[in-house]
Amino acid sequence: MSRSAFKRWRAPLAWCALLLVLATGGEWFESLLRWSDPEARRVLYPQADLLTLLLRHLWVVAIASGLAVVLGVGAAILVTRPGGRDFLPLVAQAASMGQTFPPVAVLALAVPVLGFGTWPIIVALLLYGLLPIVRNTLAGLEGLDPGVEEAARGMGMGAAQRLWRVELPLAAPVILAGIRTSVTVNIATAALGATVGASNLGAPIIAGIINGNTAYILQGAVLIGLLALTVDSLFARLNWRG
Amino acid sequence: MIELKSVTKRFGDETAVDAISLTVERGELCALVGTSGCGKSTTLRMINRLIEHDGGEIHIEGRPIREFDGRLLRRRIGYAIQSTGLFPHWTVARNIGLVPGLLKWPAARVAERVEELMVMLGLPVEAFADKYPAQLSGGQAQRVGVARALAADPDILLMDEPFGALDPITRQGLQAELRDLQARLQKTIVFVTHDMDEALALADRLVVMNAGRIVQQGGPLELLRAPADDFVASLLGGDDRGLKAAAITRVGERMLPLATRPVPSARVPREATLHQALAVMFREHVERLAVMDGDERPVGEISLRRIVGAGREGGGEP
Ligand SMILES: Nc1ncnc2c1ncn2[C@@H]1O[C@H](COP(=O)(O)OP(=O)(O)O)[C@@H](O)[C@H]1O
Ligand SMILES: [Mg+2]
Repeated sequence: MSRSAFKRWRAPLAWCALLLVLATGGEWFESLLRWSDPEARRVLYPQADLLTLLLRHLWVVAIASGLAVVLGVGAAILVTRPGGRDFLPLVAQAASMGQTFPPVAVLALAVPVLGFGTWPIIVALLLYGLLPIVRNTLAGLEGLDPGVEEAARGMGMGAAQRLWRVELPLAAPVILAGIRTSVTVNIATAALGATVGASNLGAPIIAGIINGNTAYILQGAVLIGLLALTVDSLFARLNWRG
Repeated sequence: MIELKSVTKRFGDETAVDAISLTVERGELCALVGTSGCGKSTTLRMINRLIEHDGGEIHIEGRPIREFDGRLLRRRIGYAIQSTGLFPHWTVARNIGLVPGLLKWPAARVAERVEELMVMLGLPVEAFADKYPAQLSGGQAQRVGVARALAADPDILLMDEPFGALDPITRQGLQAELRDLQARLQKTIVFVTHDMDEALALADRLVVMNAGRIVQQGGPLELLRAPADDFVASLLGGDDRGLKAAAITRVGERMLPLATRPVPSARVPREATLHQALAVMFREHVERLAVMDGDERPVGEISLRRIVGAGREGGGEP
């Protein structure tokens, strides 16, 4: 790896390394945690090792965010096409409603339908994560220079050519900012899944709250925070240009 | 050749273009002039079907444009606009090569054509090919816009106030270049502008529009001599019309053979305009000038009387 590439990726690499050290560190992390709650009988969450919880956490967020990107970007593209304009207000409103609806309430409503486990939290994160993506994609596509659009049409580009070669590349920074917000928020919100039986980094937190064990809460919170920082600093370095 | 036969366009209740008829001959530069909102851009966009006309017929090379696929039609017609509409995420070279690319020219031929156009429009290849539009001045960006419009060598060129956003010096420079380019390439050009001096300087045919209708059309001198009504007269500059006509008439068209000696000492090139000849007369305080050819030989003379048109057949107003 060249020097400049290393410099560019330094922040995400550092966060990621710290995250992995803590998730796999075992005893070392345990002694740190001991300090936070000297009274507790155990300080390291016993049900599953932290690396597994971390991977499950990441997996849930990846699925939910992947779906949110496909649905959110797709819907925003459709309603900015000539045929779909009528649905623009509807989609914009539906997306903001998804976010005003508390994820806890979505979980409560989803459990009877989907059962306990991972699916309710995926649905909740999907709904919750749509708004920033839809809003930014709409802003990016609507905010294009009208002269550029006129030229693209005037030169004889078709609708698909304009979308892929002009509109999306030019809107990409704004869309990407929306995805970044959505994913980062969802990394934190995914912890709620532990209340309905999904095992992820929320599990130590919930167990800590129930047992009054600060060390459990802390390890869940610290790892979630580091995961969010890693992903966020990765996004900060993405630069998509067509 | 482009023919419009009582072409109409309505936006809701508003008639933007009202039954206009117009023929632009092959190789002719036709300028559409008129105040803002009179329907110039709408007329232009109907020709390449960015806007569909509601009534009448538009023919290109004798065929109704509705027979063509819109996209294919637009690839065959050059289009340059005031805001340039260059793609900000593409380099200058890639922007210019857009239409040849759409037409699936082989990459080598596209690259060759792009270089040829950059040279033609005074954009040194090494300096500009890899620049992005944001790194260009207004005049350079507009050159790239014109190069992109010319890229696939279309017979027809539509230009919508292409120099409208430029400072006067740059604008006049580009107008002169467009005139030279047109003299060589002989495209059929429809050129929209609200700047009457620009229209007079460039047009073979001048079309004056007002409120969606054509008020008058004809050669620039024809209109300057006989404006159809007060609107056209005022658009053409009111009392300045005589001077504007002088600014587009060449000395060579008005000069007389060298008369008796002595040859006047003040001189003017044959290619100069009457306006420039007048300026020389003012400067030198004389009423007669010797007219010189390209080799600095006197080939005739011109007098103040000739310039103002007195003593000329049908004279009076120039
Ligand atoms: N897409 C459109 N929708 C509605 N009205 C339009 C549209 N394009 C132009 N117009 C109207 O048509 C008239 C002529 O516009 P335009 O051709 O752009 O004028 P010009 O180019 O001469 O300034 C204006 O009144 C303008 O408001
Ligand atoms: Mg206009």
